Amino acid sequence: MSLKTRFVLPATLLGIVALSAVHAETCLSPFVKRLDRPEKVLYVYCVDADAKDNDFVAVIDVEKGSKTYGKITYQLDLGSKGNETHHFGFTDDRTHIWGMSLFSNRVFIIDVASDPAKPKLVKTIEDFGKKAGFASPHSPYALPGRMLISFLSAADGKLPTGLAIFRNDGAFIEKLTMPDDAPYGYDVAIRPDLNRMVTSSFTYFNNYKKPLAKMDFKKFGNDVLIWDYRMRKVHSKLKVGGAPLECRWSLKPKNNHGFTNCALDNSIWVWEGDKDDKYTARKLCDTGKMPADLRQSPDDRYLFVSCFMSDEIQQWDVSDLKKPKLVSTLKPGVQPNMMHVTGDGKRIYVTNSLLSTTDRSNDFWVKLAHITPEGMKLDESFHVDLTRFRTGPARGHDMLLN
Amino acid sequence: MNDRQFSIGNCQLSIVNLFPLIVSLVLYASVVQAAPLERLPIIQKAPDFDLVDQSGKAVRLTDFKGKVMLVSFIFTTCNGTCPATTSRMAKIQEHLHKRGLLEKGVRLVSISLDPARDTPEVLRGYMRLYEADSSSWSFLTGPPDKVAKAISAWGMWAKPAANGQLDHPSRIFLVDSRGQIREIYNLEFLRVPWVTEDVELLLKEKN
Repeated sequence: MSLKTRFVLPATLLGIVALSAVHAETCLSPFVKRLDRPEKVLYVYCVDADAKDNDFVAVIDVEKGSKTYGKITYQLDLGSKGNETHHFGFTDDRTHIWGMSLFSNRVFIIDVASDPAKPKLVKTIEDFGKKAGFASPHSPYALPGRMLISFLSAADGKLPTGLAIFRNDGAFIEKLTMPDDAPYGYDVAIRPDLNRMVTSSFTYFNNYKKPLAKMDFKKFGNDVLIWDYRMRKVHSKLKVGGAPLECRWSLKPKNNHGFTNCALDNSIWVWEGDKDDKYTARKLCDTGKMPADLRQSPDDRYLFVSCFMSDEIQQWDVSDLKKPKLVSTLKPGVQPNMMHVTGDGKRIYVTNSLLSTTDRSNDFWVKLAHITPEGMKLDESFHVDLTRFRTGPARGHDMLLN
Repeated sequence: MNDRQFSIGNCQLSIVNLFPLIVSLVLYASVVQAAPLERLPIIQKAPDFDLVDQSGKAVRLTDFKGKVMLVSFIFTTCNGTCPATTSRMAKIQEHLHKRGLLEKGVRLVSISLDPARDTPEVLRGYMRLYEADSSSWSFLTGPPDKVAKAISAWGMWAKPAANGQLDHPSRIFLVDSRGQIREIYNLEFLRVPWVTEDVELLLKEKN
């Protein structure tokens, strides 16, 4: 038996198994290093509610048994206001968070490795996207050593928008413009093993900057694009319900499908690739009103969808794509929006602000639900009030665990 | 003028007269389409290093000037992603050799993240384990300060983990013959056909 057979193959397999065993955290780029322990802190990306004070990141202690469990233990001032801080995401090595902003085009690069309990702002990039000709940076998505960003607008606040790739230090590398017949953007997600990337479509700055009642609902996209990731080319254009938002690939390697929540169609759609590499999309199920966020359980069995206008979170069993089943509904309070499922799949954190132009309540909070065999159960002992800051209420949006 | 002719200003042209121009345009379009910049944009200049290889010979990045390089960061006692990365690189080396590409100017480089343990002798043993061909694959180490400088310059890091191992990102860099980083893979993207395709593209660009 050769040295290679005796030592290398078992070690290689061990490495691959170790790599896959820690892939439990869902809805992050597959290139982000996963936590190998339960979460200790929850970062909440906050908008100062009246835009008179600086936006910030709230750090909440979520380590079980800690004396300050469930409390805000630190606030990172982002140094400017009126940004509409929205989504944020880890770099591939989980040492930094890139924070996007929908009104100011600023991007905040935050060090979360030096002291995870006290993140530090290391760089603010003004006019982010200018070199690519885009504005309104939305989803930060880690690639090895780089960040892929999906934008909502062209530089003038209109269309077409696109995607751009940046080095981890913020330097621009390349751009991909959306096609003329599908010019909208929103989220992005990659399945490396399939060499497929998917993008979804919302609306652009000059429309979403208006109050909800004044937005033009004809100016929202209804396309999901499947891309050949390595070639950076659109492979398939699929029509789905209005305003497809989050893109979630199935987590099982044998599956070639994924899901998106269509906010203006009150539904979840599924896209599916067949053995001939042909993709189609169809409505999977009707949901509550305005499905705003979509999350997955680590075992790929459940989808969690927050229904912003009907004040509920629905848990769908999607193990049989022909018979999706609503297994539980949670009423956590008014306008639930962003969610974050823990790596063990047992808990889900929830915030309740969508955009300052669309919120209909000023009661902002972070809540926690336990995912049990009987469905989601609200943890009444966990309630983080986001209305009592020195600067007044804050709209909590995206969350990350560390 | 018949329907197979058209005019530009006062100049009347026929399809027959235009044939060489059309052929030239088609050829030009195919060259433009094959231009590699869309596929593998320049990410940044590859940082230099001043290290020693498995035989103790001093090595700098500039020694590989003109070659397409695949650069990994590993340590020999790693039980995480390093064995899989090195094993995959061994397969890539073998495949490139079979395709006749290795000899056209390709160099594999693996830089140790643990220079205190990974001496040139240890690296030679590690290479034997993976049947790495030293004629086109160098394993580099050196004094800890110089290795640390190289690791940091490439945007990498390594720090002690709770399990006694070194925690580090999984990144493998593809460098063109002009010393520019053109792709960064992680283990999942480090697939033999894909890397071969990218190396082939950079070799064509070199020529």
